[in-house]
Amino acid sequence: MTKPILVVGGGPAGLAAAHSLSALGKKVVLVEKEDKLGGAPILSGYAKLVPSGEWAKDAIGGMVKRVEDSKMIDVRLSTTVSELSGDTGNFTAKLSSGDEVNAAATVMCTGFTHFDSVNKPEWGFGTHQDVVTTTQVEQMISSGKGVRCPSDDRKPKRVAILLCVGSRDRQIGREWCSKICCSVSANIAMEIREELPDCHVYIYYMDIRTFGLLETKYYWKSQEEFKVKYIKARIAEVTSNGEQLIVKGEDTLVKRPITIPFDMVVHAVGMDPNVDNRVLSESFDVDLEPHGFIDRADSYGVVGATSRDGVFVAGSATGPETIDDSIAQGKAAAMSALECIQATK
Amino acid sequence: MPIHEKSLIRPENLVTHDQLVIDGVDVSGHWSTFIETRVVKDYNEDMQDEIAALAGGENIHRCWQCGSCTNACTINAENPDFNPRYWIYLIRMGMESELLRDKDIIWQCVSCNKCTSACPRDVVPEGVMKATAHWLELKGHTEKSSSTIFDEVFSEQVFATGKIEESRTMRRFFSRTGQPLMPSWFVEFMKRLIRYLPVKMLMHMGLATVFTPKTKKWDKARDAIEEYVAEKKAADRKALGLDKLIEQAKQEVNNIAAE
Repeated sequence: MTKPILVVGGGPAGLAAAHSLSALGKKVVLVEKEDKLGGAPILSGYAKLVPSGEWAKDAIGGMVKRVEDSKMIDVRLSTTVSELSGDTGNFTAKLSSGDEVNAAATVMCTGFTHFDSVNKPEWGFGTHQDVVTTTQVEQMISSGKGVRCPSDDRKPKRVAILLCVGSRDRQIGREWCSKICCSVSANIAMEIREELPDCHVYIYYMDIRTFGLLETKYYWKSQEEFKVKYIKARIAEVTSNGEQLIVKGEDTLVKRPITIPFDMVVHAVGMDPNVDNRVLSESFDVDLEPHGFIDRADSYGVVGATSRDGVFVAGSATGPETIDDSIAQGKAAAMSALECIQATK
Repeated sequence: MPIHEKSLIRPENLVTHDQLVIDGVDVSGHWSTFIETRVVKDYNEDMQDEIAALAGGENIHRCWQCGSCTNACTINAENPDFNPRYWIYLIRMGMESELLRDKDIIWQCVSCNKCTSACPRDVVPEGVMKATAHWLELKGHTEKSSSTIFDEVFSEQVFATGKIEESRTMRRFFSRTGQPLMPSWFVEFMKRLIRYLPVKMLMHMGLATVFTPKTKKWDKARDAIEEYVAEKKAADRKALGLDKLIEQAKQEVNNIAAE
């Protein structure tokens, strides 16, 4: 078997899939649309990852280096797949560069897109400079600059983090829970309290979903050790009095309206289906599930199967996913690809 | 009233005017009732730390508002306004003025500790209630309760002599709480006691009243206890910023006098 396996997307899942296949002696063509490997953690400049606590540039950077150094992996940056024809054992992928790749199987690790907060105008993103997203705060931390109000670079004394921005909201057609934002927000809250001990951090939530063991490490720890305050309220609007941001809502636990000033408001943005998913669905001829993520055809028999034989999927292309699970799924999908090639021999 | 039955509109916030014209529109009378907003402006963000500094309140910041304490509460079953979960929340969020609305029922906690065993996060709500009642007292929002006064009388005597002399304790307690020295129930109590002719006991009491016996070599113990109590009290005052407040008040009085 000399044909390579095509891996699409160079984020955590794609890096894991490519590495596993190369380690088993398989050739891999890794196609990445951006000019750099690493996916969201690297491209969006994440700081410390949940739940390992390792810096993204070290943890994911290590995975990138391992792939770049491999002789078995042919990395094509700034490239997309415009058409995938053929079937198991004999796929032909037309690339945007004009090249064609013959591949035995395909693993789609095409990831997600951060929710664009502009789509919730009542929460002030795009209107007020000091309304930012979790991604921006991650960048403030990872750049070493620290958490500052964008309007005048001052250290905030009061920060509000709004959860479920772009998640669990029928108004904007997004019913899903983005799974990881509660833990990421608690992590950011602790980072802020560590850097700025005089800064009060409030988290406005509908439910706290720090699932599994993350409960201790994020929800409990942020409350018990870092004195982060949690308020059960869905915020009505974020406005400004010219000096500070004004957050309005109803505190549902004590049944009272709230109007509180803040220096900085952080949107915990959710995970949208990759904006390219409709195009990807066409060019790869795979089905999307009702929310717009790539549909998983089988959970038990063939892990990572899509609606098309020989094409597999892993990571947040299938729905909101953690980095750790994306990596595991990348490996699992690589294994499924090998199994299917073996079966068609 | 249980909290879920509470109205968001408080009766005192409903306002009608006999004569009022706004921008040429007559808004007099019942048909033009106004509702005043109840926006809290003066959050006391130190409140959680203040309560946490007092004995029993140490774990208040752990609360995640599940309501197990209120559900388990003996007093809540009797009085639905007695809601530890709610008060813990007000304290954590610094809504001092809201908490003060309930200052006259917070002391009602009977320390049965059912909340403490129900709490999934070891907040020890019973301790928090105790700390809160203490806080209200130290800040001057509530009078000293009778039980606090009894505790003081009792411990003063133990600190001084290492012993308890009941009749003196009772006398001091009655006088400090402004009760008659011979309340009717006490007279009845003594009458019935006398029927048994407790000669030995009465002799002990008489001697104790006259001589004020002391535990042997008590002075060192007393000094140590008093030092410890003074330390604790100073720490509480510091946590609540009371000395600073007193200094400020003195300064203001001086300023006025100087003028």
